[in-house]
Amino acid sequence: MGVAQTGGVMFLALKEMRRAKGRFGLLIAAIGMLVFLILFQQSLQNGLLTSFVGAIRNQSAPVLVYSVDGQRVIQGSIITPDLEQQVRADAAVGAVGRIGQGTFTVTAAGKAADATVLGYEDRALGAPTALTEGRYPEVAGEAVGSDADADDGFGVGDTVLVQPGGLAITIVGLARDVQLNAGPTLFVPYETYVSAVRSVNPDAGQPLPNVLAVQPAADLSADDAVASINSRSEDLDALTSGDAADETPGVAQVRQSFTIIFLLYGLVVPCVTGLFFLIITFQKSGALTLLRAIGAPAERLVGSLLFQAVLIVVAGYAIGLALYTPVSQQRLGGIPLRFETGAVLFWAVALLVLGVGSSLIAARRVLAIDPIEATRGGANR
Amino acid sequence: MRIALKELVRRPGRFVTATVILTLIAVLLMFLGGLLDGLIRNSTGAVEAQDADALVFSDTSQASFLRSRIEPETRTTIETELGVETGGLGVVLLGARVPGNGPRDLANVAVWGYELAPSGVPAPPAPGEAWADEVLEADGVAVGDELLVGPARIPITVVGWVENTSYNGQAGLWTDVDTWRTVLTANRPDAALDPGVFQSLVIRRGDRDLGGVSVPDAVESLFDGEVVALTVREAIEEIPGVTEQRGTFNQILGVTVVIALVVIALFFALLTVERTALYGVLKAIGARSRTIFAGLVAQAVVVTLAASAVAGIAVVVLDLVIPPGSIPLSISATRIVTSVVLLLVAAVIGCAFSLRRVLKVDPASALGSSQ
Amino acid sequence: MTVSSSSPATPALHMAGVRKVYRVGDEEVVALDHADLTVATDEIVALVGPSGSGKTTLCSIAGGILSATAGSVVVGGEEISDYSDRQLTTFRQNQVGFVFQTVNLVPFLTARENLLVVDEMGRREGKPARARADRLLDELGLADRSQNLPGQLSGGQKQRVAIGRALMNEPGLVLFDEPTSALDTELGGHVMELIRSEMKARGTSAIVVTHDERITEYCDRTVRITDGVLEA
Repeated sequence: MGVAQTGGVMFLALKEMRRAKGRFGLLIAAIGMLVFLILFQQSLQNGLLTSFVGAIRNQSAPVLVYSVDGQRVIQGSIITPDLEQQVRADAAVGAVGRIGQGTFTVTAAGKAADATVLGYEDRALGAPTALTEGRYPEVAGEAVGSDADADDGFGVGDTVLVQPGGLAITIVGLARDVQLNAGPTLFVPYETYVSAVRSVNPDAGQPLPNVLAVQPAADLSADDAVASINSRSEDLDALTSGDAADETPGVAQVRQSFTIIFLLYGLVVPCVTGLFFLIITFQKSGALTLLRAIGAPAERLVGSLLFQAVLIVVAGYAIGLALYTPVSQQRLGGIPLRFETGAVLFWAVALLVLGVGSSLIAARRVLAIDPIEATRGGANR
Repeated sequence: MRIALKELVRRPGRFVTATVILTLIAVLLMFLGGLLDGLIRNSTGAVEAQDADALVFSDTSQASFLRSRIEPETRTTIETELGVETGGLGVVLLGARVPGNGPRDLANVAVWGYELAPSGVPAPPAPGEAWADEVLEADGVAVGDELLVGPARIPITVVGWVENTSYNGQAGLWTDVDTWRTVLTANRPDAALDPGVFQSLVIRRGDRDLGGVSVPDAVESLFDGEVVALTVREAIEEIPGVTEQRGTFNQILGVTVVIALVVIALFFALLTVERTALYGVLKAIGARSRTIFAGLVAQAVVVTLAASAVAGIAVVVLDLVIPPGSIPLSISATRIVTSVVLLLVAAVIGCAFSLRRVLKVDPASALGSSQ
Repeated sequence: MTVSSSSPATPALHMAGVRKVYRVGDEEVVALDHADLTVATDEIVALVGPSGSGKTTLCSIAGGILSATAGSVVVGGEEISDYSDRQLTTFRQNQVGFVFQTVNLVPFLTARENLLVVDEMGRREGKPARARADRLLDELGLADRSQNLPGQLSGGQKQRVAIGRALMNEPGLVLFDEPTSALDTELGGHVMELIRSEMKARGTSAIVVTHDERITEYCDRTVRITDGVLEA
């Protein structure tokens, strides 16, 4: 279509939309809200997953070894000395570090809060892989915190007190996406972790580590180490850190639930758009027949329809995006949300394709109009 | 109004579009609602079941069982000062080996030691025995099975079923306090508690008059901030994630209902546009705007009910088809009814969008309409 | 067979000095100017004029579909000039019948149900109304078509159903808007004969709006209208 014809198409399309502001407005509003919900839930899903297993995914050890009884939850796993011995003795294992984890009540910025404390022995075996601010701990009592919680009294330079013992931990560095239980997470030297446990429960003996962080032996891969360790004992559950994150209980559930949700919401958009255009095409078939009878080319009428479909999806998407952007910067409880650029782009393309695609059904109907009907009173409907 | 219903019956085709979309939205509402209910039930069932006027935790525990400890002296003080009934309560979260399952295929359990029974749970069984939450049936557990709990493999025999007693996503195993303490000490030595020490206390009101003060307040007033006493409701809200889940889901549900409203408004507006000529004739021969509008609302209600019925069936089937343990879906009659009611309200309000157009139809348009 | 409820002395319609003025932007358009018209009981009047002459406006005012700007309108002894919309609606249910030019029947209702529409919206007599509907359909030769939808009826049959509906509430006055314009000459003639016999049998008055001179043969009197003014 040439420039002039494109102008004609737009003219028709916009004229009609202006005439029926209410109906087109409702449609755009519906799409806007759907887009908002889809994008918001995309942030929610990613936020949920990151705030529950970020610490596992973004720590430095390539392999993590749980006890089978732990069911892939760090806190539920206990490595007895016997199991630890077996891991250290394995030929595929290079370096081994203990990891201990506990949830404590701490006083931060004057208030009580839940915090997860993760103790590691070696920076390459369990500490966060990268820092966004500050440095790694060098002595006992120092910690790297989750940057999402920095403003709540967990920032660099802040000191928190573990209750009820009053043990002090000072934050010297921050890392991103390293939460474990949707709350402030502190990576400390292993002896600090042990002190914390003892300060809270005097009855505790020497706490056993929860998980072992493993570097594979030279020239071997993480998968090799995993296979080797698992074959040693049925009480050991070795995983790469990526798998450990993915197979933490609840992760699969969250992914499956959201998949169904996205599917349903995503379906609503083309249904509403497609059916809307089908109905209005039917309603104006008289006018369309007339236009065809007086010489308007079919492509122009179809072009007008498709232009409206594109306009509607784009306008709806813009509204949804405008609603989503401020919300995406919020925190939901302990879960920090983020503006998910990848999702925004994906859904923009997907919904445009679905929305415009669904209007093709109406387009087919427009093409099926026979101008001769105008002479038989078909233009008078 | 009968005319409107006749139109529905004789010309169902023109209402199908709105019905299909509403069915999708209704499924969304019921599914999301069921997801919320399931998630909450999985986290809080055991606490919700407690038959207590107050639950007592230590002050720094943030109402978390795992971090709380109550000394025997505290318990005695409460009993003597308030004349109430107290029961010890404690829990430990572990994996259990089920006879017949593979060595890495453990069931997630929460072993509870209790003295005062929660609703739906019988009195504490004999040592070494437990009442098991029925969700364990999905893990292959049967009555009579001896489960080996935790790395220490403490044996516990299942002697009967209870329902809705999950905590933190783990199924409840309800045992007497001695069994529980054994399981705790053997498997979690760092969290071991001396005899007489519990994580929480269940308080039931006695005969003594507390002078109009609530039981939780009465308990707290005995100590200088060392303990926290909560009602069952409050304790549930303290369970991590509950308030946030509920808040977030309800917001999403709310927006979805608004979407339903807009969709109904849209499709009935389209329908109304198509029928202005007919409305003109009806008004000319004496129909009131009110009657016509009532007919419109009646159609919206029927369409919504039809969509809800299909959605209800779809969601129930989905619930049956989803394997237990994958998606925590809990479809209850209450949730379905609530969703339907919300949709009906949305339907009626959505129709209001077309009210102006119905009112504006001029009966004179019926005359000379060929112009 | 029922006789119109008004006594022979009361005319079916008496319009005096009726004006209808529309504001279009800054201008005033006079659709009807000082119209005086009396239709006696049992009289069929043809209202003839070209398009835009105001005949539809006059018909609308007579039928209580439109309110006059000035003047008095008395239908079957009832003064409707100052009626509210609500009162006009009730009036239209009971005192006047309409047969429109094009859209007449509810497309998803059967012939019988189309007759019963008015009863459902107003009086709700139930059984007597159904009996009356069946009788009317029989008289109009549509007894075997009562369960058919308008889409299954011919042009002439649809017109007869419309006439039946107009007569359902036994009005004193029936208004016909171009009843034969969609029909060929022979069929048009049949329909006009039917209209005449039905009106006369009941002693019901009628105004037939038309631009077709041939219709006037079937009417008692012809009144002409041009540019909103009735010829004396």
